[in-house]
Amino acid sequence: MTDLIVENVHKYLGGLHILQGASFTANRGSIVSLLGASGSGKTTLLRCIAGLEQPEVGQIKIGGSVVFDGDKRVTVAPEKRNIGLVFQSYALWPHRSVAENVAYGLKLRGVNKADAEKRVLDTLGKIGLGHLAERYPDQLSGGQQQRVAICRALVYEPKILLMDEPLSNLDAKLREEARYWIRKLVLDLGICGVLVTHDQAEALAASDNILLLRNGKVAQEGPPQDIYSKPSSFYVADFLGANNVAAGRIKRDGPAASIHGSNWQLDGVMMGDGAESEGKAVIRVEQVAVHDQPAPGRIEMQLEACLFLGDRWEYRLSYGDFKAKAFGPKLMAAGTVWTEIPRESVWLYPEAA
Amino acid sequence: MSAPSTTVSTLSHAAQPAGHASPTFTSIPQPANALGFRRIVIGLLAVVVLAPIVLIIYQSLLDGPFFAPKSKLSIEAYRYILTDEMFYDALWNTVIMAVGMVAIAVPLGAALSFLLTRTDVKFRKALEVVVLVPMFISAIVLAFGYTVSVGPAGFLTMLSRDLFGSAPWNLYSLTGIVIVTGLAHVPHVYLYVSAAMRNLPSDLEEAARSMGSPIWRVCLDVTLPMVLPALVFATALNLLIGFEMFGVPYVLGDPSGIIVLTTYVYKLTTLFGVPTYQLMAVVVVLLVLLTLPLVWYQRRLLRHSRRYAALGGKGPRTTVMRLGPTGQIISLSFIGFWLFVSVVLPIGGIVLRAFVDAWGQGVNPLAHLTVAHFATLLEVPTLFRGIVNTVVLSVVGGAAAVAIYLVIGLAGHRHRGMSNTVLDYMVLLPRAMPSLIIGLAFFWLFLFVPFLIPLRTTLISLFAAYVIVGLSYGLRLLQGTLIQVSPELEEAARTTGATIGRSWRDIVIPIIRPGLVGAWALIMIVFLRDYATGIYLMSAGTEVIGSLMMAQLQSGAMDTIAALAFVSILLTGGGLALALRLGAKIHD
Repeated sequence: MTDLIVENVHKYLGGLHILQGASFTANRGSIVSLLGASGSGKTTLLRCIAGLEQPEVGQIKIGGSVVFDGDKRVTVAPEKRNIGLVFQSYALWPHRSVAENVAYGLKLRGVNKADAEKRVLDTLGKIGLGHLAERYPDQLSGGQQQRVAICRALVYEPKILLMDEPLSNLDAKLREEARYWIRKLVLDLGICGVLVTHDQAEALAASDNILLLRNGKVAQEGPPQDIYSKPSSFYVADFLGANNVAAGRIKRDGPAASIHGSNWQLDGVMMGDGAESEGKAVIRVEQVAVHDQPAPGRIEMQLEACLFLGDRWEYRLSYGDFKAKAFGPKLMAAGTVWTEIPRESVWLYPEAA
Repeated sequence: MSAPSTTVSTLSHAAQPAGHASPTFTSIPQPANALGFRRIVIGLLAVVVLAPIVLIIYQSLLDGPFFAPKSKLSIEAYRYILTDEMFYDALWNTVIMAVGMVAIAVPLGAALSFLLTRTDVKFRKALEVVVLVPMFISAIVLAFGYTVSVGPAGFLTMLSRDLFGSAPWNLYSLTGIVIVTGLAHVPHVYLYVSAAMRNLPSDLEEAARSMGSPIWRVCLDVTLPMVLPALVFATALNLLIGFEMFGVPYVLGDPSGIIVLTTYVYKLTTLFGVPTYQLMAVVVVLLVLLTLPLVWYQRRLLRHSRRYAALGGKGPRTTVMRLGPTGQIISLSFIGFWLFVSVVLPIGGIVLRAFVDAWGQGVNPLAHLTVAHFATLLEVPTLFRGIVNTVVLSVVGGAAAVAIYLVIGLAGHRHRGMSNTVLDYMVLLPRAMPSLIIGLAFFWLFLFVPFLIPLRTTLISLFAAYVIVGLSYGLRLLQGTLIQVSPELEEAARTTGATIGRSWRDIVIPIIRPGLVGAWALIMIVFLRDYATGIYLMSAGTEVIGSLMMAQLQSGAMDTIAALAFVSILLTGGGLALALRLGAKIHD
């Protein structure tokens, strides 16, 4: 069941065109991530859905009812949209205890006191904060505050849960835990989650669908695996993952394609239309394998340096002016090595005409 | 767009490149944003602020009192004033007084700010509060204080005559007025300049010091140029205050016939035996024309400084410069001397005067101690009522005023648009009028508007005028507090399901409660020290300490005045102690 429909939303701020026709849908029991660099309009889009900003054009429907329609100039106030919003700063009310923070949405909905108390404690208990109900926000750690903020937005069972960079103020370890339990919570409750993030790992791990935004437009949309393994444009390919990028001239010969540098060439697959032209190749770093023995299909390259990353080694490779990075399990001696770069992992993007 | 045919439209077209043409969509206003509430509040405020101003302008264009049926439109009043030598005399004196006051207050205030924010001068924490004291004392109390201590028959003047045969000063002169007001307004400069200096990173000064600059050169070459905007703002503000000063020039200038515009208006009341409202109105209109540009300029500076302040997050690390023993002695003597002249002298004079019944050349005042003057305060109903009224107006009225400012503040809170520009001007307009004039305008309103007439002799009339007098200051306090509530806290309430009204009630107001209490204490002091607003509104039942002192001055009852002034100082001191205890931000 589709709970959120965003259609062709445009937003202007002064002379700036911040959102340039964003569209997507989101279903119950799933999480959509709005991923993008800063300034891509992801937070603005979220705030438009919440009703905290007013777009000029487009349509937004939540749970089947129109909350914004640019043509009919209809717009519904945030408090009537039946949403929950988790802020980057958590925005817990400092003068209310944890329980009072969480109970506020129920109080506004006229839930009687006894019921409200029970639901608050249930929800807090579910995420392991039951014992902190009487504390005040400034007595909680960052991770606890974040969980309270999510509780507060969920306790009254909104149609959609909007999260604006909810993990960015947590340290790395907590973040990995949090993206797991947030995902579990949303799926268990069967609501529709929208997650704004600039962290691709977070988007890839936590969501069912990713919307990659660039300059207020959707650059690509799809499930995490798709968007990671079939990026439709150079921008998307380069934005996600760790990459080797090489510029050269792309040549086509029937189904086969290759890219040519000054003294090197690589076979690859075309990821866009276009005949022979200048272009770029993107190769995910993890797709490059390095060996100390030659074999058919392996390319002879120079290993310039090895960097220890803890769980693995990073190799710096070169072949003329073609530079590449690769990962491997062991320290290797500098000098000649043989690399394997699968043809289907060399994605060729002709320069946009 | 229609085809551009005239040169003008072609030009305007050229100024806007085709590629950047603004979109044709009109934005949809934020729904449920309490627009109705905002408009009603700001509309009501506009009526309350504009009504007295319109009435004054109307009155200035009549040839008689506005309520007299035979009054006709005429510019006779303007002709009279503009050909009256006394008017030009007053205008000239006003300019000298304001400019002279600024010329003393700004350099001293800047020096004081530098010492207290950028150096390790001793007793810094205590001094930061003490130097603000002159700001909280009623100007009329200050003026009386100087009269009894260094006036022609003052304690120190007598002492000097006893010791040296003469006293080398004349308080009742324009120079006397300029010095007294100049010293009294040092805190008004200090307040703004020190705030700016506190936000200065100290590495710039350290760089200059490391090149071998002595401290005074660092101050002149580095620190002061960096806080120039604050200095300019303080200058503009004090010029404005200077044009509107009334108490000091009246008490010190009247005996020797020195008049300024405000005292000129005041004297016009009695000059002809009958009320010459049209002449008073003309002078007020002319005075407002003089102050309005300053108010406008101040608004511009303030907007600029707010933008500047928004850039700085947490205060930068500041280390203070070490003065060394000689520097400490010089600095502390400077501050001490200033405090002696502007605090100890007037307040000490009042305290002494309030407890003696005889003084003069060769008389030892300590041999004539008495509390009889205070007995008078308790015995004379008018005087006693005045004290009660002052306390009631300050404590209860102050709280009510803060509630009103809160409603106005919320009406403009996180809102842009026409009504907010209107709000800004409505808040600033009363600033262009001395409180004496605001009191006069409200007196007229309560004399004239049918449903207000019965209220004229109640404290309501005075309260209404006080609310307008304190509007600018009070609203700045409130807006400053409101803006500190993070917008996300309010947005979180909205998305949780609260209407804007509920988000104000449940989130905003509880969070700013400490700020409200602090604002109440400060507004209380503003109302306590006021003496000018109540002058025209005084009737049996609306006496306050300030207007009683002005009235007693006519009869020369210095005993009573001293006792009243002493009570006023006590009340103000109590208010200030309360404000500090409640954590009011007196440094704002």
